[in-house]
Amino acid sequence: MIQENLPVLLVVTLLFTAYLLPIFTKRRPRIIELLVVTVECLILGGTLYLAGLIARQGRAPIIYPAGGWPAPWGIELSVGSLSILFLLMIAGVGLPVAIFATDGITWQLRSRQRVAWFFTLYLLLAAALAGLAVTNDLFNVYVFVEVATISCCALVAAKDDPLAIKAAFRYLLLATVGSGFIFAGIGLIYLVTGNLDMTFAFTELSQRAYTYPHVVRLAISFFVIGFGTKAALFPLHLWLPDAHSAALTPASAILSGLAVKGYIIALAKILYIIVGPALLQALSIDRILLLMGMVAIVAGSLLALAQDELKRRLAYSTVAQVGYIFLGLGLMNTTGLAGALFYAASHAIIKACLFLAAGAIISRTGKERVSQMAGVGREMPITMGIFTICSFALMGLPLLSGFIGKWNLLRGSIQAGSFLASLVIILGSLLCAGYLLPVIRTAYFVPAGTTTTKETSFLQISSMLILTVFVIVLGIAPGPLWNLAWQAARDLLGG
Amino acid sequence: MSFMLVGILSALIGGVIVALLPEESQKLRRGIVLATCLLSALSVWQVAATIFSKTSPLNTLEWGIWQFRADPLALSYALIAGTLWVLTAIYSYGYMPQDPRQRSFYAFFLLSMGITLGIAFAGNLLVLYIFYELLTFSTYPLVIHRRSEEALRAGKKYIIYSLVGAGALLVAIVATGFMAGSLSFGTGAILDQTATSGKTVWLLILFVIGFGVKAALMPLHRWLPQAMVAPTPVSALLHAVAVVNAGVFGLLRVVYSVFGPDLLTKLGVRPYLLVLASFTVLAGSIVALRQDVLKKRLAYSTISQLSYMLVGAFTLSSFGLSGAIFHMLNHSIIKITLFFCAGAIEHNTGKTRVSELAGLERTLPWTFALFGIASLGMVGMLPVSAFWSKYYLMKAGLSSGNWPLLLVFIISGILNACYFFPIVIQGFLGTGPIRSTEGNKETYLMLVPCALLVVFALVLGVYPNLAWSYLVDGVVGSFF
Amino acid sequence: MKVSLLSRLLANYPYVAAFILFAIGIYGVIASSNLLRKLLGISIMESAIFLMFIASGNITGRGVPIVDAAKESVGYVNPLPQALILTGIVVGVSTTAFALALLVKLHKYYGTLDARIIYDKREADKH
Repeated sequence: MIQENLPVLLVVTLLFTAYLLPIFTKRRPRIIELLVVTVECLILGGTLYLAGLIARQGRAPIIYPAGGWPAPWGIELSVGSLSILFLLMIAGVGLPVAIFATDGITWQLRSRQRVAWFFTLYLLLAAALAGLAVTNDLFNVYVFVEVATISCCALVAAKDDPLAIKAAFRYLLLATVGSGFIFAGIGLIYLVTGNLDMTFAFTELSQRAYTYPHVVRLAISFFVIGFGTKAALFPLHLWLPDAHSAALTPASAILSGLAVKGYIIALAKILYIIVGPALLQALSIDRILLLMGMVAIVAGSLLALAQDELKRRLAYSTVAQVGYIFLGLGLMNTTGLAGALFYAASHAIIKACLFLAAGAIISRTGKERVSQMAGVGREMPITMGIFTICSFALMGLPLLSGFIGKWNLLRGSIQAGSFLASLVIILGSLLCAGYLLPVIRTAYFVPAGTTTTKETSFLQISSMLILTVFVIVLGIAPGPLWNLAWQAARDLLGG
Repeated sequence: MSFMLVGILSALIGGVIVALLPEESQKLRRGIVLATCLLSALSVWQVAATIFSKTSPLNTLEWGIWQFRADPLALSYALIAGTLWVLTAIYSYGYMPQDPRQRSFYAFFLLSMGITLGIAFAGNLLVLYIFYELLTFSTYPLVIHRRSEEALRAGKKYIIYSLVGAGALLVAIVATGFMAGSLSFGTGAILDQTATSGKTVWLLILFVIGFGVKAALMPLHRWLPQAMVAPTPVSALLHAVAVVNAGVFGLLRVVYSVFGPDLLTKLGVRPYLLVLASFTVLAGSIVALRQDVLKKRLAYSTISQLSYMLVGAFTLSSFGLSGAIFHMLNHSIIKITLFFCAGAIEHNTGKTRVSELAGLERTLPWTFALFGIASLGMVGMLPVSAFWSKYYLMKAGLSSGNWPLLLVFIISGILNACYFFPIVIQGFLGTGPIRSTEGNKETYLMLVPCALLVVFALVLGVYPNLAWSYLVDGVVGSFF
Repeated sequence: MKVSLLSRLLANYPYVAAFILFAIGIYGVIASSNLLRKLLGISIMESAIFLMFIASGNITGRGVPIVDAAKESVGYVNPLPQALILTGIVVGVSTTAFALALLVKLHKYYGTLDARIIYDKREADKH
């Protein structure tokens, strides 16, 4: 019974455990953390099982009608390569970050009850993202987007200080406006097609689109604005630097790594499955996405250069990297789209690890600003080493996962005939080196006074090492994940 | 089991081992460094033996995208780098015994060796790019080794220039893969010989920028003089032999393995390329005249000499290629000797400027003697081997109908004399202490490699066929 | 031409109302400096979207979508948008509740709900 209902069980287990956690505050101390880690492992296992199932049936997606009601009357879940890719990201990044969070959160949140609530929100976010991964119904997307938004804002607000609350409120305000736009877009699509199931809506839309071109354009614009606000696409990114730098370290990691990607993947699903590549090109949406991506890369990177606080620098870097993914979405060829998806997965791991390392450095040495970081290379050698490897990966150095994504985005750009896009990709990498290499250089090569090691705890190092190992392995042997991304791109573009 | 991989991997593993050893175990570290360098170099020689004995003129290895290829061109670069690396290791034992940071130095020293061999033996553009990028990052810690303000600034400039070049290179490689469908080096050129569009010229420009940074083609050369702030073994090896030759090697691969002489002739870019390289030849020499710091003078001389090789390559003729390859060999030998001597002078007397060298010939007789003979080579005079490479380069100029090149070489030769001979002459002028201070062990370690190299250069000058028939004919034969 | 535009607007009065509400809401969010008013603006915006959605489901002459044998011949209005809006309202309520909680906290920390004071750039430098 479990195997048949696995798609929905993945989401439900996360939801259920999320609400289970606050019960355990008075009992045995570590059961909360244990539950979180167990659940994440279960999700990982479930995802791998589904991946195997899909591989056996020729990569075609598994369709699962919720409650037995088939579409278009019921909500259908569709677990294809894209879903598997994203679920792997959720489990693969969520697990190490959760392990990291089990150490040190109690001190920062000052009570076991708040720790339980933190993990509740954590699992809620994971549940919402997992739901976004598997759903094939438009309104279901809205519901999960809302759950994700509220958990994200609450995660930011979990650290109870003025800066965090301020950032959380601004995030909530802007995100709700974004949700409004998404809702309006859904309404418009429903008005035109009369369907909420994505596959059915596509069939209807391809017939009706030319009768209602303005409505379709409006709907797509609403979706891009709405999801763009949540994904921090420039210039809708204004909430992100404050929110991600003010939040607790594991929260920043999961927000920058996973949450932002979830919205982009939901947008990709809507644009590619409902609107379809043909219509996207006819309405020039692809060129708009390409352009917005390029602007985001340059603007985000330049803004990152200007930041002295380490976490803010990383936050603006996320804004820039989101641009890469949008650029790939706008290329309209399999290589480019697969490159964008692989880049998203790779960035999730890298950025999460960078935030974790930065958080460890800040909490152990008290140094928040890049200009203060002299000597960190000696004070925290392992953490700084991890930071260095992940920075190199973000810059797109060969043998690390970032290079694979960058290479394929370049190939996709050239195939799409956009030489400018390829130059912007390279420029983005150079600027990334510009804002990350000085951190490494200051930490290792600028002479400093103290040399006492204050290396962080075993659990935290292990979690960061797991992520770094992923980065290295994906760089040297990207095969399985790349095939997944390729198939996901084929699914999106073919249908 | 291919010795190509043995060569590359042994150096890389050696680097990792040295990185893990504690800072104090100097003797053990020295042993490992020397052993690794020898192992690597001998592996390269083994590959060379197979290739040049004509039993199998080509050696390839494939594993997915990781393609390796040992053809004569790859071997010329690999032999030069590998052998000179061993000699540099010995030199560094004399130069650096008091250095506080030897662990990181030797770790990156060995890693860079492995990566350089990776560049040499790359079988396709992607592998070449990967090692090329990695080389920047493995040589950076060597450049900033002294950790001074100046060193950090030099390192920053080095990285910026190199990364911009690598970025252009990456776009070029992706575009090539797209246009040609394959990135692997073969017997012919990669690009379709009939593709003569504007896009192909842009592709060439990107490649030239990409490799030109490391080949110190003007105006991409500015990192090189700055990088002289590194310890002498680094300046000598990396910035006169390994890194800069990587750029030249890359451009040779571009001209011959990617585009092919026929396509380039059809595109009509030859005059522009020749002007670019000739300008660097002359400008490098002129600026060298004005440098007082000895290592900077040698740096600008390197910039000029590298473009000799590029001029030869860009004439797209077999004479040009011969001259370029032979000059790569000769220049490496001679320039590294010059740098070693400069380092020996600095180590023994602390003097770094030409104007300070008055009368030092008495203190350092052997150093100056070796420096003097090497300078003869740089100017292009017999009996030092560089005479032959310059001769063939000039012949290439004539035969391809570009007689102005002859003038360029002659003028540059005169300029070379103008800035090299005064150094030696200075040593004889004025008064200084009469006793030689070269007796200590350190200087011994520093000068023996120089002596070996100078002897080799002289032998090669008298019997150029020693290298010619293997290296040069092999390379030319594989492309023409 | 003007007549037909006016008559078209009058015929689609729910959508016009929705649009006006939306504009009011957006104005409130942007122009007001009090955070509570911004929140109210968002609630109004959401109501506008709900209105548009529900109105789209209305079919003139038909009845409430509750199954009743007597109304079989008349038919039912489209029930789907109504179900969706119920969900939307719940989501709106929870978001508003959360936002209000954050506002209480903000008032505790800053003593005011004025965005100009709380989000002052100089305030950020203090931390």
